[in-house]
Amino acid sequence: MASTTAVLRAEPIQLPRRFLAMLPGIGLLTIVGLAGKALEKSIATYTKAHHLVVPNIEYVLWAILIGLLISNTVGVAEVFKPGIATYEFWLKTGIVLLGARFLLADVLKLGAVSLTLVLIELILSIGFMTLLGRIFKLSPKLTSLLAVGSSICGVSAIIATRGAIEADDEDSSFAIAAILALGALALFTFPPIGHWLGMSDRVYGLWAGTGVDNTAEAVAAGALYSDAAAKIAVLAKTTRNAMIGFVVLGYALYWAARDGRQAVGNKAAFLWQKFPKFVLGFLLISLLASLSIFNKDQVNSLANLSRWAFLLTFAGVGLRINFKEMKKQGIRPFIVGALGEVVIAAITLGLVLGASKLVRL
Amino acid sequence: MANQVTQEKSQRGLSLDGWAVAIALLLAALVKLGALKHVGW
Repeated sequence: MASTTAVLRAEPIQLPRRFLAMLPGIGLLTIVGLAGKALEKSIATYTKAHHLVVPNIEYVLWAILIGLLISNTVGVAEVFKPGIATYEFWLKTGIVLLGARFLLADVLKLGAVSLTLVLIELILSIGFMTLLGRIFKLSPKLTSLLAVGSSICGVSAIIATRGAIEADDEDSSFAIAAILALGALALFTFPPIGHWLGMSDRVYGLWAGTGVDNTAEAVAAGALYSDAAAKIAVLAKTTRNAMIGFVVLGYALYWAARDGRQAVGNKAAFLWQKFPKFVLGFLLISLLASLSIFNKDQVNSLANLSRWAFLLTFAGVGLRINFKEMKKQGIRPFIVGALGEVVIAAITLGLVLGASKLVRL
Repeated sequence: MANQVTQEKSQRGLSLDGWAVAIALLLAALVKLGALKHVGW
């Protein structure tokens, strides 16, 4: 993580040079993603040919596992890091393209349900994480970062808040490491729980989107369940991401008052600056699809392009997780994060199951 | 991370989100115009 951050902080260099520097890492993302896809296909073919009954392990999990294996054994060489850091670009491009599979009416209906759940989840998780931080005597700014990271959108929210509340690098690294480790755990716990409870794709997708912190892991947790669940997880997570500006603004105002600094000047400009603009791209593509600008074959092509973009994202999820680096951050933030995550997962599960009884999802 | 890149926007033009939207729209236009057909998976 530290090296990724360092890459992004580097002095501005020419765009073509920056692009060339990304190529080795993008190549590695592609190889890992394709290897995951090939493994899924080979295992499915082998088990079918030998009449074996083995649960299908999706390419998503293979890509993440191969990435994890590389990152935690041979390690990732510096030359690959700029390209691996593009996983978030592929994630957002994939989300915008996925808009073609949503009719705007669906977005508004499910978005309204998601928004209600997200608002309740935000209040409960921020309150609970703040309480946990106090009990475990974490620094107040680290507590704020963990609360924001677990309630909205993981790493992006932490980085946005770090600048706004002037938290130090150590607190930010702690919070990011905790959120990433817990996001990785969610990949292995959410799908089995969903299957165990017999959740429908839509209900599970809503849970993954509201319960898993980081956007990439939320999409992956959805995709591990089913394609349809991934679609709903993206929508719920996008709704959650759209809230980032309001929460960061709230924390910025709180810490400015507490530190005796000048409060945020133009609040509307602040909100616009923090608003994730890819949400607008997603809505625009969804609007175009709703107006039948694309025919069925074109919608399929856009959906498949979105899958290819997600394939690179999932490879990046595995490649950036380094357990040794995470261990260095200490155990207390993880305990707070883990306790918080378990409670938030339970709260969001209750909310989603409750909503599915009240509204036809 | 996204917002860290966003903060560099003024130095480099488009933000990460801006690039993602621009590339996605470009791909959508290519699909619409028939330059990209039957993308498989």
